Amino acid sequence: MRQVIGAEWAKLWSVRSTWWCLAGLTALMVLSALALGGATATDLMREGVRSARFAVSEPVVSATTFAQFALVALAMLVITSEYASGSVRSTLQATPIRGRMLAAKALVVLPVMFVAGVLSGALATAAGYVVLSLDTFGGHAALPLGEVTLDLLRVGVFFALVAVMTLGVGTAMRSAAGTLTVVFMLLMGLPLMLLMAGGPAAVEVSLRMPLFAGLAFMESTDNMTGGPIPYPAGEGLAWLLVWTAAALAAGYAVLRGRDA
Amino acid sequence: MISLKGLSKRYGDRMAVDELTLEVRPGAVTGFLGPNGAGKSTTMRMILGLDRPTAGTALIGGVPYHRIRYPLQKVGALLDARALHPGRSGHAHLVAMARSNGIARGRVAEVLETVGLGEAARKRAGALSLGMSQRLGIACALLGDPEVVMFDEPVNGLDPDGVRWVRHLMRSLADEGRTVFVSSHLMSEMQLTADHLVVLGKGRLILDAPLAEVIARSSLTAVVVRTPHAADLAVRLKAGGVAVERVGENELVATGVAIERVGDLAHEAGIRLHELRTREASLEQAYQELTASSVEYGAQKAGV
Repeated sequence: MRQVIGAEWAKLWSVRSTWWCLAGLTALMVLSALALGGATATDLMREGVRSARFAVSEPVVSATTFAQFALVALAMLVITSEYASGSVRSTLQATPIRGRMLAAKALVVLPVMFVAGVLSGALATAAGYVVLSLDTFGGHAALPLGEVTLDLLRVGVFFALVAVMTLGVGTAMRSAAGTLTVVFMLLMGLPLMLLMAGGPAAVEVSLRMPLFAGLAFMESTDNMTGGPIPYPAGEGLAWLLVWTAAALAAGYAVLRGRDA
Repeated sequence: MISLKGLSKRYGDRMAVDELTLEVRPGAVTGFLGPNGAGKSTTMRMILGLDRPTAGTALIGGVPYHRIRYPLQKVGALLDARALHPGRSGHAHLVAMARSNGIARGRVAEVLETVGLGEAARKRAGALSLGMSQRLGIACALLGDPEVVMFDEPVNGLDPDGVRWVRHLMRSLADEGRTVFVSSHLMSEMQLTADHLVVLGKGRLILDAPLAEVIARSSLTAVVVRTPHAADLAVRLKAGGVAVERVGENELVATGVAIERVGDLAHEAGIRLHELRTREASLEQAYQELTASSVEYGAQKAGV
Protein backbone atom coordinates (compact mmCIF):
# COMPACT_ATOMS: atom_id res chain seq x y z
CA MET A 1 0.00 0.00 0.00
CA ARG A 2 2.87 2.38 0.86
CA GLN A 3 4.27 1.81 -2.63
CA VAL A 4 0.95 2.50 -4.31
CA ILE A 5 0.64 5.73 -2.33
CA GLY A 6 4.19 6.62 -3.37
CA ALA A 7 3.27 6.08 -7.01
CA GLU A 8 0.16 8.26 -6.73
CA TRP A 9 2.23 10.92 -4.98
CA ALA A 10 4.77 10.87 -7.81
CA LYS A 11 2.01 11.08 -10.40
CA LEU A 12 0.36 14.04 -8.68
CA TRP A 13 3.49 16.17 -8.75
CA SER A 14 4.59 15.20 -12.24
CA VAL A 15 1.86 17.13 -14.04
CA ARG A 16 1.70 20.86 -14.37
CA SER A 17 -2.04 21.05 -13.73
CA THR A 18 -1.40 20.30 -10.04
CA TRP A 19 0.80 23.35 -9.70
CA TRP A 20 -1.61 25.54 -11.63
CA CYS A 21 -4.52 24.46 -9.45
CA LEU A 22 -2.54 25.14 -6.27
CA ALA A 23 -1.48 28.54 -7.57
CA GLY A 24 -5.10 29.27 -8.51
CA LEU A 25 -6.29 28.12 -5.10
CA THR A 26 -3.85 30.41 -3.33
CA ALA A 27 -4.72 33.38 -5.54
CA LEU A 28 -8.44 32.84 -5.02
CA MET A 29 -7.99 32.52 -1.26
CA VAL A 30 -5.96 35.70 -0.99
CA LEU A 31 -8.16 37.76 -3.30
CA SER A 32 -11.53 36.64 -1.91
CA ALA A 33 -10.28 37.00 1.66
CA LEU A 34 -9.10 40.53 0.92
CA ALA A 35 -12.40 41.44 -0.74
CA LEU A 36 -14.52 39.95 2.05
CA GLY A 37 -12.27 41.37 4.77
CA GLY A 38 -12.35 44.78 3.11
CA ALA A 39 -16.15 44.66 3.09
CA THR A 40 -16.27 43.72 6.79
CA ALA A 41 -13.86 46.51 7.67
CA THR A 42 -15.81 49.08 5.70
CA ASP A 43 -19.04 47.99 7.37
CA LEU A 44 -17.44 48.44 10.77
CA MET A 45 -16.15 51.89 9.78
CA ARG A 46 -19.64 52.91 8.67
CA GLU A 47 -21.11 51.74 11.96
CA GLY A 48 -18.51 53.93 13.59
CA VAL A 49 -17.72 51.68 16.54
CA ARG A 50 -14.03 52.43 16.82
CA SER A 51 -13.27 49.62 19.26
CA ALA A 52 -14.85 46.87 17.10
CA ARG A 53 -12.35 44.19 16.01
CA PHE A 54 -12.54 41.11 13.78
CA ALA A 55 -10.05 38.29 13.33
CA VAL A 56 -8.49 38.47 9.85
CA SER A 57 -8.95 34.72 9.53
CA GLU A 58 -12.73 35.21 9.47
CA PRO A 59 -12.87 36.46 5.90
CA VAL A 60 -10.42 33.66 5.04
CA VAL A 61 -12.94 31.11 6.27
CA SER A 62 -15.64 32.73 4.15
CA ALA A 63 -13.30 32.87 1.16
CA THR A 64 -13.31 29.06 1.00
CA THR A 65 -16.77 29.31 -0.57
CA PHE A 66 -15.12 30.65 -3.73
CA ALA A 67 -11.65 29.20 -3.55
CA GLN A 68 -12.88 25.61 -3.14
CA PHE A 69 -13.46 25.31 -6.86
CA ALA A 70 -9.72 25.36 -7.55
CA LEU A 71 -9.28 22.45 -5.19
CA VAL A 72 -12.23 20.69 -6.80
CA ALA A 73 -10.43 20.97 -10.14
CA LEU A 74 -7.26 19.49 -8.69
CA ALA A 75 -8.96 16.59 -6.91
CA MET A 76 -11.11 15.87 -9.93
CA LEU A 77 -8.13 15.70 -12.29
CA VAL A 78 -6.46 13.08 -10.10
CA ILE A 79 -8.99 10.58 -11.42
CA THR A 80 -10.75 12.06 -14.46
CA SER A 81 -7.49 12.74 -16.32
CA GLU A 82 -6.78 9.02 -16.08
CA TYR A 83 -10.07 8.14 -17.68
CA ALA A 84 -9.72 10.87 -20.31
CA SER A 85 -6.30 9.61 -21.43
CA GLY A 86 -6.94 5.91 -20.80
CA SER A 87 -3.97 5.76 -18.44
CA VAL A 88 -6.31 4.37 -15.80
CA ARG A 89 -5.69 0.99 -17.47
CA SER A 90 -2.01 1.40 -16.85
CA THR A 91 -2.72 2.29 -13.23
CA LEU A 92 -4.99 -0.71 -12.76
CA GLN A 93 -2.45 -3.01 -14.37
CA ALA A 94 0.01 -1.90 -11.71
CA THR A 95 -2.60 -1.98 -8.94
CA PRO A 96 -5.35 -4.41 -9.93
CA ILE A 97 -7.10 -4.26 -6.56
CA ARG A 98 -9.33 -1.33 -7.31
CA GLY A 99 -10.18 -0.31 -3.77
CA ARG A 100 -6.47 -0.04 -3.09
CA MET A 101 -5.99 2.31 -6.02
CA LEU A 102 -8.85 4.56 -4.86
CA ALA A 103 -7.61 4.48 -1.27
CA ALA A 104 -4.11 5.45 -2.39
CA LYS A 105 -5.45 8.41 -4.35
CA ALA A 106 -7.56 9.51 -1.37
CA LEU A 107 -4.61 9.18 0.98
CA VAL A 108 -2.53 11.40 -1.29
CA VAL A 109 -5.20 14.01 -1.92
CA LEU A 110 -6.19 14.24 1.75
CA PRO A 111 -2.91 15.46 3.28
CA VAL A 112 -1.97 17.52 0.23
CA MET A 113 -5.22 19.47 0.35
CA PHE A 114 -5.01 19.80 4.11
CA VAL A 115 -1.61 21.42 3.83
CA ALA A 116 -2.74 23.47 0.82
CA GLY A 117 -5.70 24.73 2.86
CA VAL A 118 -3.58 25.66 5.87
CA LEU A 119 -0.85 27.32 3.81
CA SER A 120 -3.07 29.23 1.39
CA GLY A 121 -5.22 30.23 4.37
CA ALA A 122 -2.14 31.44 6.25
CA LEU A 123 -1.02 33.44 3.25
CA ALA A 124 -4.48 34.96 2.87
CA THR A 125 -4.55 35.77 6.60
CA ALA A 126 -1.15 37.42 6.44
CA ALA A 127 -2.08 39.41 3.36
CA GLY A 128 -5.38 40.38 4.99
CA TYR A 129 -3.65 41.53 8.14
CA VAL A 130 -1.15 43.65 6.25
CA VAL A 131 -3.73 45.30 4.00
CA LEU A 132 -6.59 45.65 6.50
CA SER A 133 -4.29 47.18 9.12
CA LEU A 134 -3.90 50.20 6.88
CA ASP A 135 -5.54 53.37 8.18
CA THR A 136 -7.92 53.33 5.21
CA PHE A 137 -9.68 50.35 6.77
CA GLY A 138 -10.00 51.91 10.18
CA GLY A 139 -7.76 49.49 12.03
CA HIS A 140 -10.49 46.97 12.84
CA ALA A 141 -8.41 43.94 11.82
CA ALA A 142 -7.03 41.77 14.60
CA LEU A 143 -4.73 38.77 14.66
CA PRO A 144 -5.67 36.63 17.68
CA LEU A 145 -3.21 33.78 17.19
CA GLY A 146 -5.20 31.02 18.90
CA GLU A 147 -8.35 31.71 16.92
CA VAL A 148 -6.43 32.15 13.67
CA THR A 149 -4.61 28.84 14.14
CA LEU A 150 -7.85 27.00 14.81
CA ASP A 151 -9.49 28.63 11.77
CA LEU A 152 -6.61 27.67 9.49
CA LEU A 153 -6.57 24.06 10.68
CA ARG A 154 -10.29 23.86 10.05
CA VAL A 155 -9.87 25.32 6.55
CA GLY A 156 -7.34 22.56 5.93
CA VAL A 157 -9.73 19.86 7.11
CA PHE A 158 -12.57 21.33 5.03
CA PHE A 159 -10.42 21.41 1.89
CA ALA A 160 -9.13 17.89 2.47
CA LEU A 161 -12.64 16.49 2.88
CA VAL A 162 -14.10 18.36 -0.11
CA ALA A 163 -11.17 17.08 -2.18
CA VAL A 164 -11.79 13.47 -1.19
CA MET A 165 -15.51 13.93 -1.84
CA THR A 166 -14.65 15.23 -5.30
CA LEU A 167 -12.37 12.25 -5.86
CA GLY A 168 -15.27 9.96 -4.98
CA VAL A 169 -17.64 11.73 -7.37
CA GLY A 170 -14.96 11.75 -10.07
CA THR A 171 -14.43 8.00 -9.70
CA ALA A 172 -18.15 7.44 -10.06
CA MET A 173 -18.61 9.84 -12.99
CA ARG A 174 -15.28 9.27 -14.78
CA SER A 175 -15.63 12.36 -17.00
CA ALA A 176 -14.46 15.82 -15.98
CA ALA A 177 -17.66 17.49 -17.20
CA GLY A 178 -19.89 15.10 -15.27
CA THR A 179 -17.80 15.40 -12.13
CA LEU A 180 -17.74 19.18 -12.24
CA THR A 181 -21.51 19.31 -12.71
CA VAL A 182 -22.25 16.97 -9.82
CA VAL A 183 -19.75 18.57 -7.46
CA PHE A 184 -20.93 22.06 -8.32
CA MET A 185 -24.54 21.04 -7.73
CA LEU A 186 -23.61 19.47 -4.39
CA LEU A 187 -21.52 22.40 -3.22
CA MET A 188 -23.43 25.37 -4.62
CA GLY A 189 -26.33 24.65 -6.96
CA LEU A 190 -28.57 22.51 -4.78
CA PRO A 191 -27.98 24.26 -1.45
CA LEU A 192 -28.66 27.67 -3.01
CA MET A 193 -31.76 26.42 -4.80
CA LEU A 194 -33.04 24.90 -1.57
CA LEU A 195 -32.20 28.07 0.32
CA MET A 196 -34.13 30.15 -2.19
CA ALA A 197 -37.04 27.70 -2.18
CA GLY A 198 -37.31 28.94 1.37
CA GLY A 199 -39.48 26.24 3.00
CA PRO A 200 -38.20 25.35 6.48
CA ALA A 201 -37.48 21.76 5.45
CA ALA A 202 -35.62 22.91 2.33
CA VAL A 203 -33.48 25.25 4.40
CA GLU A 204 -32.72 22.52 6.92
CA VAL A 205 -31.57 20.21 4.14
CA SER A 206 -29.58 22.96 2.43
CA LEU A 207 -27.72 23.71 5.65
CA ARG A 208 -26.61 20.10 5.89
CA MET A 209 -25.11 19.92 2.45
CA PRO A 210 -21.31 19.91 2.21
CA LEU A 211 -20.61 23.62 1.82
CA PHE A 212 -22.78 24.86 4.68
CA ALA A 213 -21.78 21.88 6.81
CA GLY A 214 -18.18 22.93 6.20
CA LEU A 215 -18.96 26.56 7.05
CA ALA A 216 -20.68 25.40 10.23
CA PHE A 217 -17.59 23.37 11.09
CA MET A 218 -15.36 26.40 10.47
CA GLU A 219 -17.80 28.56 12.47
CA SER A 220 -18.22 31.01 9.63
CA THR A 221 -20.13 34.12 10.61
CA ASP A 222 -20.41 35.67 7.19
CA ASN A 223 -21.79 33.52 4.39
CA MET A 224 -24.59 33.10 1.88
CA THR A 225 -27.07 32.14 4.60
CA GLY A 226 -26.60 35.63 6.00
CA GLY A 227 -25.19 34.60 9.33
CA PRO A 228 -23.72 31.79 11.39
CA ILE A 229 -24.97 28.30 10.57
CA PRO A 230 -27.41 27.44 13.36
CA TYR A 231 -25.82 24.23 14.61
CA PRO A 232 -22.56 23.30 16.34
CA ALA A 233 -19.19 22.90 14.59
CA GLY A 234 -19.00 19.23 15.51
CA GLU A 235 -22.24 18.52 13.70
CA GLY A 236 -20.90 20.35 10.65
CA LEU A 237 -17.85 18.10 10.62
CA ALA A 238 -20.07 15.04 10.99
CA TRP A 239 -22.19 16.03 7.97
CA LEU A 240 -19.10 16.77 5.95
CA LEU A 241 -17.73 13.32 6.77
CA VAL A 242 -21.04 11.73 5.81
CA TRP A 243 -20.98 13.42 2.39
CA THR A 244 -17.35 12.48 1.83
CA ALA A 245 -17.94 8.86 2.80
CA ALA A 246 -21.03 8.66 0.59
CA ALA A 247 -19.14 10.04 -2.42
CA LEU A 248 -16.24 7.65 -1.87
CA ALA A 249 -18.63 4.72 -1.51
CA ALA A 250 -20.36 5.68 -4.76
CA GLY A 251 -16.99 5.95 -6.48
CA TYR A 252 -15.88 2.59 -5.17
CA ALA A 253 -19.12 0.90 -6.21
CA VAL A 254 -18.72 2.09 -9.80
CA LEU A 255 -14.98 1.37 -9.86
CA ARG A 256 -15.54 -2.18 -8.66
CA GLY A 257 -18.46 -2.97 -10.88
CA ARG A 258 -17.59 -1.40 -14.22
CA ASP A 259 -15.01 -2.45 -16.75
CA ALA A 260 -12.07 -0.07 -16.81
CA MET B 1 1.85 -19.30 -19.18
CA ILE B 2 -1.59 -17.85 -19.79
CA SER B 3 -4.55 -20.20 -19.42
CA LEU B 4 -8.02 -19.26 -20.56
CA LYS B 5 -10.92 -21.50 -19.70
CA GLY B 6 -14.37 -20.91 -21.16
CA LEU B 7 -13.58 -17.20 -21.14
CA SER B 8 -16.61 -15.22 -22.34
CA LYS B 9 -17.66 -11.61 -22.52
CA ARG B 10 -21.14 -10.50 -23.46
CA TYR B 11 -22.05 -6.94 -24.41
CA GLY B 12 -25.83 -6.74 -24.52
CA ASP B 13 -26.88 -9.60 -26.78
CA ARG B 14 -23.55 -9.81 -28.58
CA MET B 15 -20.85 -12.24 -27.51
CA ALA B 16 -17.57 -10.36 -27.87
CA VAL B 17 -15.65 -13.39 -26.64
CA ASP B 18 -17.34 -16.75 -26.69
CA GLU B 19 -16.12 -19.65 -24.56
CA LEU B 20 -12.46 -19.15 -25.31
CA THR B 21 -10.27 -21.96 -24.02
CA LEU B 22 -6.57 -21.95 -24.76
CA GLU B 23 -3.11 -21.95 -23.32
CA VAL B 24 -0.38 -19.55 -24.31
CA ARG B 25 2.91 -21.28 -23.61
CA PRO B 26 6.25 -19.92 -22.49
CA GLY B 27 9.30 -19.92 -24.75
CA ALA B 28 7.38 -19.06 -27.89
CA VAL B 29 5.85 -16.09 -29.64
CA THR B 30 2.13 -16.67 -29.92
CA GLY B 31 0.45 -14.52 -32.55
CA PHE B 32 -3.11 -13.51 -31.80
CA LEU B 33 -5.00 -12.88 -35.02
CA GLY B 34 -8.50 -12.10 -36.08
CA PRO B 35 -10.53 -9.53 -37.99
CA ASN B 36 -11.42 -6.24 -36.34
CA GLY B 37 -13.94 -6.76 -33.59
CA ALA B 38 -13.09 -10.44 -33.23
CA GLY B 39 -12.51 -9.93 -29.51
CA LYS B 40 -8.71 -9.82 -29.31
CA SER B 41 -8.41 -6.68 -27.23
CA THR B 42 -11.32 -7.67 -25.01
CA THR B 43 -9.56 -10.97 -24.34
CA MET B 44 -6.36 -9.18 -23.41
CA ARG B 45 -8.22 -6.79 -21.13
CA MET B 46 -9.89 -9.71 -19.38
CA ILE B 47 -6.53 -11.41 -18.86
CA LEU B 48 -5.34 -8.23 -17.15
CA GLY B 49 -8.45 -7.98 -15.00
CA LEU B 50 -9.52 -4.71 -16.60
CA ASP B 51 -12.75 -6.16 -17.96
CA ARG B 52 -14.73 -8.65 -15.97
CA PRO B 53 -15.54 -11.85 -17.86
CA THR B 54 -19.21 -12.80 -18.17
CA ALA B 55 -18.08 -16.37 -17.65
CA GLY B 56 -14.91 -18.40 -17.48
CA THR B 57 -11.49 -17.68 -16.09
CA ALA B 58 -8.19 -16.22 -17.21
CA LEU B 59 -5.18 -17.33 -15.20
CA ILE B 60 -1.55 -16.32 -15.37
CA GLY B 61 0.79 -18.95 -14.00
CA GLY B 62 -2.25 -20.49 -12.36
CA VAL B 63 -3.57 -17.39 -10.59
CA PRO B 64 -5.94 -14.60 -11.59
CA TYR B 65 -4.21 -11.32 -12.39
CA HIS B 66 -5.48 -9.43 -9.34
CA ARG B 67 -4.00 -12.03 -7.01
CA ILE B 68 -0.46 -11.33 -8.17
CA ARG B 69 1.33 -9.29 -5.52
CA TYR B 70 3.45 -7.22 -7.91
CA PRO B 71 1.71 -7.76 -11.24
CA LEU B 72 4.15 -5.66 -13.28
CA GLN B 73 6.93 -8.04 -12.23
CA LYS B 74 4.99 -10.96 -13.61
CA VAL B 75 3.08 -9.59 -16.60
CA GLY B 76 4.04 -6.71 -18.85
CA ALA B 77 1.43 -5.47 -21.26
CA LEU B 78 1.15 -2.85 -23.94
CA LEU B 79 -2.48 -2.26 -24.80
CA ASP B 80 -2.74 1.27 -26.09
CA ALA B 81 0.45 3.29 -26.42
CA ARG B 82 -1.51 6.54 -26.48
CA ALA B 83 -3.09 5.86 -23.11
CA LEU B 84 -0.78 8.14 -21.14
CA HIS B 85 -1.48 11.40 -19.38
CA PRO B 86 -0.46 13.87 -22.10
CA GLY B 87 1.08 16.24 -19.58
CA ARG B 88 3.27 13.72 -17.79
CA SER B 89 6.67 12.73 -19.13
CA GLY B 90 7.30 9.12 -20.03
CA HIS B 91 10.07 9.05 -17.48
CA ALA B 92 7.76 10.22 -14.69
CA HIS B 93 5.16 7.68 -15.74
CA LEU B 94 7.70 4.86 -15.55
CA VAL B 95 9.01 6.06 -12.20
CA ALA B 96 5.50 6.00 -10.74
CA MET B 97 4.78 2.57 -12.20
CA ALA B 98 8.08 1.20 -10.85
CA ARG B 99 7.35 2.61 -7.43
CA SER B 100 3.90 1.03 -7.26
CA ASN B 101 5.34 -2.44 -7.89
CA GLY B 102 8.50 -2.38 -5.84
CA ILE B 103 10.72 -2.16 -8.91
CA ALA B 104 14.13 -0.53 -8.45
CA ARG B 105 14.21 3.00 -9.85
CA GLY B 106 17.34 2.16 -11.84
CA ARG B 107 15.22 -0.11 -13.99
CA VAL B 108 13.58 2.94 -15.56
CA ALA B 109 16.80 4.11 -17.22
CA GLU B 110 17.52 0.52 -18.27
CA VAL B 111 14.25 -0.03 -20.10
CA LEU B 112 14.40 3.42 -21.68
CA GLU B 113 17.82 2.43 -22.96
CA THR B 114 16.46 -0.89 -24.24
CA VAL B 115 13.72 0.77 -26.27
CA GLY B 116 16.01 3.52 -27.50
CA LEU B 117 14.21 6.45 -25.93
CA GLY B 118 16.78 8.84 -24.54
CA GLU B 119 15.91 12.45 -23.95
CA ALA B 120 12.49 11.98 -25.52
CA ALA B 121 11.37 10.29 -22.30
CA ARG B 122 11.70 13.64 -20.54
CA LYS B 123 9.20 15.26 -22.89
CA ARG B 124 5.51 15.43 -22.13
CA ALA B 125 3.90 12.23 -23.41
CA GLY B 126 1.47 14.30 -25.48
CA ALA B 127 4.39 15.65 -27.52
CA LEU B 128 5.64 12.21 -28.59
CA SER B 129 5.07 10.74 -32.02
CA LEU B 130 3.07 7.53 -32.28
CA GLY B 131 6.25 5.56 -32.85
CA MET B 132 7.88 7.02 -29.73
CA SER B 133 4.74 6.38 -27.67
CA GLN B 134 4.84 2.81 -28.90
CA ARG B 135 8.44 2.46 -27.69
CA LEU B 136 7.49 4.02 -24.38
CA GLY B 137 4.61 1.56 -24.05
CA ILE B 138 7.00 -1.30 -24.69
CA ALA B 139 9.39 0.11 -22.07
CA CYS B 140 6.49 0.12 -19.65
CA ALA B 141 5.71 -3.52 -20.44
CA LEU B 142 9.34 -4.54 -19.87
CA LEU B 143 9.73 -2.50 -16.68
CA GLY B 144 9.18 -5.36 -14.23
CA ASP B 145 11.26 -7.89 -16.21
CA PRO B 146 8.07 -9.97 -16.55
CA GLU B 147 7.71 -13.64 -17.42
CA VAL B 148 4.69 -12.92 -19.52
CA VAL B 149 4.44 -10.12 -22.07
CA MET B 150 1.37 -9.11 -24.03
CA PHE B 151 1.45 -6.64 -26.87
CA ASP B 152 -1.62 -5.36 -28.68
CA GLU B 153 -0.55 -4.21 -32.16
CA PRO B 154 3.01 -3.34 -31.12
CA VAL B 155 4.34 -2.26 -34.51
CA ASN B 156 1.57 0.26 -35.07
CA GLY B 157 3.15 3.53 -36.11
CA LEU B 158 6.73 2.24 -36.09
CA ASP B 159 9.12 2.87 -38.97
CA PRO B 160 10.77 -0.11 -40.70
CA ASP B 161 13.70 -0.02 -38.29
CA GLY B 162 11.29 0.00 -35.39
CA VAL B 163 9.35 -2.90 -36.85
CA ARG B 164 12.51 -4.95 -37.19
CA TRP B 165 13.51 -4.02 -33.67
CA VAL B 166 10.16 -5.19 -32.24
CA ARG B 167 10.52 -8.43 -34.19
CA HIS B 168 13.93 -9.10 -32.66
CA LEU B 169 12.73 -8.08 -29.23
CA MET B 170 9.81 -10.52 -29.28
CA ARG B 171 12.07 -13.25 -30.60
CA SER B 172 14.64 -12.73 -27.85
CA LEU B 173 11.98 -12.47 -25.13
CA ALA B 174 10.63 -15.84 -26.24
CA ASP B 175 14.12 -17.30 -26.47
CA GLU B 176 14.69 -16.25 -22.86
CA GLY B 177 11.79 -18.54 -22.00
CA ARG B 178 9.12 -15.91 -21.56
CA THR B 179 5.53 -16.16 -22.70
CA VAL B 180 4.99 -13.71 -25.56
CA PHE B 181 1.41 -13.07 -26.64
CA VAL B 182 1.05 -10.54 -29.43
CA SER B 183 -1.86 -9.40 -31.54
CA SER B 184 -1.38 -7.94 -34.97
CA HIS B 185 -3.09 -7.22 -38.25
CA LEU B 186 0.16 -7.48 -40.17
CA MET B 187 0.29 -11.03 -41.46
CA SER B 188 3.69 -10.69 -43.08
CA GLU B 189 5.02 -9.51 -39.75
CA MET B 190 3.42 -12.38 -37.86
CA GLN B 191 4.80 -14.86 -40.36
CA LEU B 192 8.28 -13.62 -39.49
CA THR B 193 7.80 -13.56 -35.73
CA ALA B 194 5.23 -16.03 -34.49
CA ASP B 195 5.85 -19.67 -33.61
CA HIS B 196 2.30 -20.38 -32.75
CA LEU B 197 -0.99 -18.89 -33.90
CA VAL B 198 -4.29 -18.31 -32.22
CA VAL B 199 -7.03 -17.06 -34.52
CA LEU B 200 -10.26 -15.59 -33.28
CA GLY B 201 -13.38 -14.95 -35.35
CA LYS B 202 -16.59 -13.48 -33.97
CA GLY B 203 -15.23 -14.09 -30.49
CA ARG B 204 -14.71 -17.80 -31.10
CA LEU B 205 -11.51 -19.73 -31.38
CA ILE B 206 -10.99 -20.64 -35.03
CA LEU B 207 -7.51 -22.00 -34.77
CA ASP B 208 -4.82 -22.78 -32.22
CA ALA B 209 -1.83 -24.34 -34.00
CA PRO B 210 1.86 -23.93 -34.78
CA LEU B 211 2.57 -21.49 -37.60
CA ALA B 212 4.34 -24.16 -39.67
CA GLU B 213 1.30 -26.40 -39.50
CA VAL B 214 -1.06 -23.61 -40.53
CA ILE B 215 1.06 -22.86 -43.59
CA ALA B 216 1.39 -26.55 -44.50
CA ARG B 217 -2.35 -27.12 -44.13
CA SER B 218 -3.29 -24.30 -46.47
CA SER B 219 -4.71 -25.37 -49.84
CA LEU B 220 -2.38 -22.85 -51.35
CA THR B 221 0.67 -24.73 -50.16
CA ALA B 222 1.48 -26.98 -53.10
CA VAL B 223 4.11 -28.87 -55.05
CA VAL B 224 5.00 -27.25 -58.37
CA VAL B 225 6.37 -29.46 -61.14
CA ARG B 226 7.77 -28.39 -64.50
CA THR B 227 8.12 -31.12 -67.09
CA PRO B 228 7.93 -31.45 -70.86
CA HIS B 229 5.47 -34.33 -70.33
CA ALA B 230 2.92 -32.50 -68.22
CA ALA B 231 -0.12 -34.38 -69.52
CA ASP B 232 1.43 -37.81 -68.87
CA LEU B 233 2.54 -36.89 -65.39
CA ALA B 234 -0.89 -35.48 -64.58
CA VAL B 235 -2.48 -38.81 -65.44
CA ARG B 236 0.11 -40.68 -63.35
CA LEU B 237 -0.37 -38.43 -60.36
CA LYS B 238 -4.14 -38.68 -60.53
CA ALA B 239 -3.84 -42.44 -60.68
CA GLY B 240 -1.72 -42.20 -57.55
CA GLY B 241 -4.54 -40.33 -55.82
CA VAL B 242 -2.92 -36.89 -55.95
CA ALA B 243 -5.00 -33.75 -56.58
CA VAL B 244 -3.31 -32.07 -59.48
CA GLU B 245 -3.96 -29.13 -61.74
CA ARG B 246 -2.29 -28.19 -64.98
CA VAL B 247 -1.48 -24.52 -64.84
CA GLY B 248 0.60 -24.14 -68.00
CA GLU B 249 2.02 -25.88 -71.03
CA ASN B 250 4.75 -27.53 -68.93
CA GLU B 251 3.59 -26.90 -65.42
CA LEU B 252 1.53 -28.82 -62.85
CA VAL B 253 0.49 -27.93 -59.32
CA ALA B 254 -0.21 -30.76 -56.90
CA THR B 255 -1.83 -30.14 -53.55
CA GLY B 256 -2.10 -32.16 -50.38
CA VAL B 257 0.92 -34.25 -51.17
CA ALA B 258 4.53 -34.43 -50.07
CA ILE B 259 7.15 -33.31 -52.55
CA GLU B 260 8.93 -36.68 -52.20
CA ARG B 261 5.86 -38.58 -53.38
CA VAL B 262 5.53 -36.44 -56.49
CA GLY B 263 9.20 -37.08 -57.27
CA ASP B 264 8.83 -40.83 -56.68
CA LEU B 265 5.74 -41.11 -58.89
CA ALA B 266 7.52 -39.24 -61.72
CA HIS B 267 10.55 -41.48 -61.34
CA GLU B 268 8.46 -44.65 -61.46
CA ALA B 269 6.84 -43.41 -64.69
CA GLY B 270 10.21 -42.47 -66.12
CA ILE B 271 9.14 -38.90 -66.68
CA ARG B 272 11.85 -36.24 -66.87
CA LEU B 273 11.42 -33.28 -64.54
CA HIS B 274 12.88 -29.79 -65.09
CA GLU B 275 11.75 -28.43 -61.79
CA LEU B 276 10.29 -29.76 -58.59
CA ARG B 277 9.63 -27.41 -55.72
CA THR B 278 7.30 -26.60 -52.85
CA ARG B 279 5.31 -23.41 -53.05
CA GLU B 280 4.40 -22.29 -49.56
CA ALA B 281 1.25 -20.33 -48.92
CA SER B 282 1.89 -17.06 -47.17
CA LEU B 283 0.35 -16.64 -43.76
CA GLU B 284 -1.83 -13.98 -45.31
CA GLN B 285 -3.30 -16.50 -47.74
CA ALA B 286 -3.70 -19.19 -45.12
CA TYR B 287 -5.29 -16.70 -42.78
CA GLN B 288 -7.69 -15.52 -45.43
CA GLU B 289 -8.87 -19.04 -46.09
CA LEU B 290 -9.38 -19.55 -42.38
CA THR B 291 -11.31 -16.40 -41.70
CA ALA B 292 -13.19 -16.15 -45.00
CA SER B 293 -16.39 -17.44 -43.42
CA SER B 294 -16.14 -15.15 -40.45
CA VAL B 295 -15.39 -12.05 -42.51
CA GLU B 296 -18.12 -12.92 -44.99
CA TYR B 297 -20.56 -13.21 -42.17
CA GLY B 298 -19.55 -9.76 -40.99
CA ALA B 299 -19.95 -8.26 -44.46
CA GLN B 300 -23.35 -9.83 -44.95
CA LYS B 301 -24.48 -8.64 -41.61
CA ALA B 302 -23.33 -5.12 -42.39
CA GLY B 303 -25.16 -5.25 -45.70
CA VAL B 304 -28.53 -6.06 -44.18
